[in-house]
Amino acid sequence: MGFGDLRAASGLKVLNGFLSERSYIEGYVPSQADVAVFDSLSGAPSADLVHALRWYHHILSYSQRSSLPGVKKPLGQYGPPGLADTTSGSAPSAPEEEDDDIDLFGSDEEEDEEAERLKEERLAQYAAKKSKKPTIIAKSSLLLDVKPWDDETDMKQLEALVRSISMEGLLWGQSKLLPVGYGIQKLQINCVIEDDKVGTDMLEEQITAFEDFVQSMDVAAFNKI
Amino acid sequence: MALRELSSLEKYLGLKKPNKYSTQGDKKVPVLQNNNGPPLVGLGTIASHLVKEAKRPNLLGDSAESRAVVQQWLEYRVTKLDGCTKEDTKAILKDLNLYLQDKVYMAGNQFTLADTFMYFGIHPIIVDLSVQEKEQYANVARWFDHIQRCPGVRHHLPPLVVLRNRIYTSKHH
Repeated sequence: MGFGDLRAASGLKVLNGFLSERSYIEGYVPSQADVAVFDSLSGAPSADLVHALRWYHHILSYSQRSSLPGVKKPLGQYGPPGLADTTSGSAPSAPEEEDDDIDLFGSDEEEDEEAERLKEERLAQYAAKKSKKPTIIAKSSLLLDVKPWDDETDMKQLEALVRSISMEGLLWGQSKLLPVGYGIQKLQINCVIEDDKVGTDMLEEQITAFEDFVQSMDVAAFNKI
Repeated sequence: MALRELSSLEKYLGLKKPNKYSTQGDKKVPVLQNNNGPPLVGLGTIASHLVKEAKRPNLLGDSAESRAVVQQWLEYRVTKLDGCTKEDTKAILKDLNLYLQDKVYMAGNQFTLADTFMYFGIHPIIVDLSVQEKEQYANVARWFDHIQRCPGVRHHLPPLVVLRNRIYTSKHH
């Protein structure tokens, strides 16, 4: 969360992008969230940041900003998710001291900081996307038919062997025995796999490796989840 | 269409006794038969009357300027939006997009009747827009999403997904 440094152009750009599809910082009514961000700006955003400017003028029109609902949270709590919170280290009560420090090191530090931050933001967003949304992981539900050699094969042990196959991204589900004819039964077993991690040929190899029990394996059904 | 909007408005305003409306002409202009006086004709007129009846004059705008703007948009709604052709919609959306660039609400800094009726009027257009078009008219999309979430406005219309999904980060501006 956080917009980055709202006194710098990069932070304002993030704010502008954030507000391009929102009327307020949080929710759909003006609140202390808007006041918090408003107070941290040093002035009106420039004319090319249309959304930030619109929001700024709108919040400016509320004369009683302290009476807006909500609780003011530290600035790093607002903003697009996944953005690295760069305000957590800074003390909001002593902005002057920070400025002095930056002056000592010269403007190069600032530029590096910004580039660092941008990289961090992108990495954080990428990581957040990858970790936060398991629904994006493509999964499929497979129905496998495992055929034994003959009717004397111990189906329970066959099932135990099949279930013993474990791979990352593979989850075994229900199973049942279906008669095929001549007393022979085939094992029909469900499994859920993550497409990226498990492939049907891998599964087939591992299952048919139990040569004493398994004659062949087929994919009876393959459904994307 | 107009009659449903007026009854939605009544619900929003909390008016207890729903009025009986009739329509006149082939454009189906709504008419409200008032007990005390002459009948009120027209969407904008009736809406303004209802608002005053419910004692919520701020919905018509809180300053002279915003009152004028509200009336302007109510007029716009009736004249330009209702019964516009497909070609017109593009021009209308373009106008709206430009207008809404620096505004959160249609008139002034708060929710007014202009927002309500423009929302009702634009809804059937937005239903048909593709994702790219919604991005093209980003300000309209933002305003639309905001209004449809305002409590009590949406009533008889289904909520629409207007804003793009989060796969696009703000970096792509």
